[in-house]
Amino acid sequence: MEKSKIKEGCGKVFFAAAAALCIAAAAAIFVFILMKSVPALRQTGLGDFLFGTTWAPDPNDVYGQTLSGSYGVLPMLTGTLVATVCALAVGGTLGFFTAVFLAYYCRGRIRAVFTAVINLLAGVPSVIFGFFGIKVIMPLFNEISPNGNSSGLLLTSLILGMMIFPTVASLSKTALCSVPAAYYEGALALGSTRDQAVFRTVVPAARSGITAAMILGVGRALGETMAVVMVAGNSPQFIGGLFSSFRTLTANIVLEMGYAGEVQMGALFATGGVLLVFVALTVILLSLVTSDKKTKGRGGKKRGFTFLFDRRICAAGKVFGIFCALFALLFLSALVIYLAIKGLPHMSAQLLFGAYEYGGGISILPSVAATLMTVGISLVIALPLGICAAIFLSEYAKSKNPLVRIIRAAVDILSGVPSIVYGLFGAVTFVTLLGGSYSIAAGSLTIAVMLLPTVIRATEESLRAVPLSLREGALALGAGRLRTIFTVVLPSALPGIIAAAILSVGRVMSESAPFMFTMGSSLQPMPEGAMSGGTTLAVALYYLSGENLYTDEAYACACVLMLIVLALNVAAEVAGRALQKKFQGEKNARKRYKGERRGSLLRRISRSQEH
Amino acid sequence: MSGADLYYGEFHALRNIDIYIPAERVTAFIGPSGCGKTTLLKCFNRMNDLVPDCKITGEFLIGGEDIYKSKDTASLRKNVGMVFQKPNPFPMSVYDNVAYGPRTFGIRKRAQLDEIVESSLKQAAMWDELKDRLGKSALGLSGGQQQRLCIARALATSPGIILMDEPTSALDPISTAKIEELIVKLKELTTVVIVTHNMQQAARISDNTGFFLLGELVEYASTRQIFSEPQKQETKRYISGRFG
Repeated sequence: MEKSKIKEGCGKVFFAAAAALCIAAAAAIFVFILMKSVPALRQTGLGDFLFGTTWAPDPNDVYGQTLSGSYGVLPMLTGTLVATVCALAVGGTLGFFTAVFLAYYCRGRIRAVFTAVINLLAGVPSVIFGFFGIKVIMPLFNEISPNGNSSGLLLTSLILGMMIFPTVASLSKTALCSVPAAYYEGALALGSTRDQAVFRTVVPAARSGITAAMILGVGRALGETMAVVMVAGNSPQFIGGLFSSFRTLTANIVLEMGYAGEVQMGALFATGGVLLVFVALTVILLSLVTSDKKTKGRGGKKRGFTFLFDRRICAAGKVFGIFCALFALLFLSALVIYLAIKGLPHMSAQLLFGAYEYGGGISILPSVAATLMTVGISLVIALPLGICAAIFLSEYAKSKNPLVRIIRAAVDILSGVPSIVYGLFGAVTFVTLLGGSYSIAAGSLTIAVMLLPTVIRATEESLRAVPLSLREGALALGAGRLRTIFTVVLPSALPGIIAAAILSVGRVMSESAPFMFTMGSSLQPMPEGAMSGGTTLAVALYYLSGENLYTDEAYACACVLMLIVLALNVAAEVAGRALQKKFQGEKNARKRYKGERRGSLLRRISRSQEH
Repeated sequence: MSGADLYYGEFHALRNIDIYIPAERVTAFIGPSGCGKTTLLKCFNRMNDLVPDCKITGEFLIGGEDIYKSKDTASLRKNVGMVFQKPNPFPMSVYDNVAYGPRTFGIRKRAQLDEIVESSLKQAAMWDELKDRLGKSALGLSGGQQQRLCIARALATSPGIILMDEPTSALDPISTAKIEELIVKLKELTTVVIVTHNMQQAARISDNTGFFLLGELVEYASTRQIFSEPQKQETKRYISGRFG
């Protein structure tokens, strides 16, 4: 018996250690970014850095000498904020109305189709969004732009808006669906039209969930890098209009990291620091919104909007919902069809399987190999750690324990940190650790840290979906906690864990920013091992689309990437269904989880935050 | 067991309960919802340990030993089996379900496990029904079969006591009848403590009955006495259906 005690104890400590690793990772990111940016900030002065209006770095500037360049990020700061607000206006509106449509105005097949559209859009790599923006939307906008070039705020808002659309839509839909049906029926019974019941009763009741969805959308827009770099124009100036070129904080890092001088490098890290501050703000805001206990009603103050009770206005809302959903469908199909038409014919044997030659034939085979290696290494690291941490959070943690709250906060922060900041972090930690040169190993380690919150949240959700009665059954038979977890809980949650793994593969596939400064960004021949550099498919697409020489190859590459994303989505869906089927008999447990509205909502939120 | 008090946080769920449960008999706990029957039941195998903020005082003696003195909940639960309100078979085969308990306690030999599975299923009167589908998933069984499988699973560790928490409340009348029949047979092997909402059930199958109200044990006597000549006014009113 003593032996089993020790085993139980060790297990718990081990799981707790995996969970505590998240705290370490989150702390390390802050510490390293801060450490790298302090010297530069000391040199330029915090005020001049934040509020300086000129960004004209001189790569020859070194610490301790007079600066000849200027390092003011205000133009980029405003650029980021304005672009985020505009993107929210586009994506938030589209997402909200689509969610209303999905939750209350459609069912069966149609609902399934639009849900799939949202899921697919969530999985589209950001480089593909950017690529589509350059190749399709930009030529259209060029026609109406006064200066003939449309890269700038309008294009960026549209692309970013479409990128945050799935986040906002799926989370708002969850919030709307978890409003008790009695509210809706009650409003109908009082003589409201269906539209009035939806817009005046259900929507206000789902307010906090919808707000949370918007905040997560903002988080995603703030941190987006690659797509913005491709469509914003990138001159470090204040936004001058819908079609004037501008630069965001994230773009600033990507564009200049490659050749930055000493002070410039520090200033770029400080730019990353500014992004981290924004992330921390959104995480705090989110926890305020979701832990808000006052959902039961808001007194009787607000009366000024009675005109909104008008049935015609509510009916217009419904029509607009349909329009938004159709727009999303149209956008996705345009994207897929266009890539297929342009890309499929160019998927030549040379491109797919040929050898890479410098200056000669382009082949994406090395990129495919590098991608597979990255997926393999990062999953081997992130999956076990993430699953153990999730086990700790779902099976051992007591919610009141301060350590647990810190762990949860760390997971929130890790999932909010922009991918480019992960890139910076990887560049100063893993690249340095592994000998100072770009390598697949360094890139994989970086993305592994980034995957942790994805794995943890998806696993935790599927662990929580396992009915409590099964755990009780095992414990009542005298099984210890460890045995209960490994023989009953984990096998039941397996489909969900597989879905988490598939999600992670998708994430590695579609990310590009974290790899730029950890694995390298130019096309290279076949990687020789984990220590050689490489480019993943997404990075290769960024590279190919940047050089106008290889447009056809870029299309083909985008096509391959898109096909993989599609396949992964289908696989994740299948795994998710399997989990659901497993517990179809457990209606009671299901109901109980539905009863805990706030809890399940938060969990859903966390799930889609990963995208 | 004597002088037991139990708190869930601030809530005083059980108040100074004294009860002696005789071996190899069926003892039933009856009473309105929320009166503490299930809570008391879960004290006997320490399932309340899982509830945060749950504080238990008093003595719980099984065969003269205080179960809250020892730290070994595993062997306690081996000796005190439990059947839950909803059937909760594990998502694995019938065989693996029944073998779960013995395997927990280190029995690995196939022949020995086969024997335990067969005798447990026989004790639960379902060997003939299930002997051909031992390898099939337990989730494919009907609700009543699942519940009897759970009883067989509890029997597989050869416990001295079996706790049943409203074992038939989720079942149809025919399955209920089968389980009641089983319970009556089980008392030759073990002690059965059953919580039920169904007074007829208590009257049909139990030897002794305890009536609970608001966390207190109002009356505890032989089932015949409780149902024919209850001493307390509350008991009388409850069993004649005037409140609860």
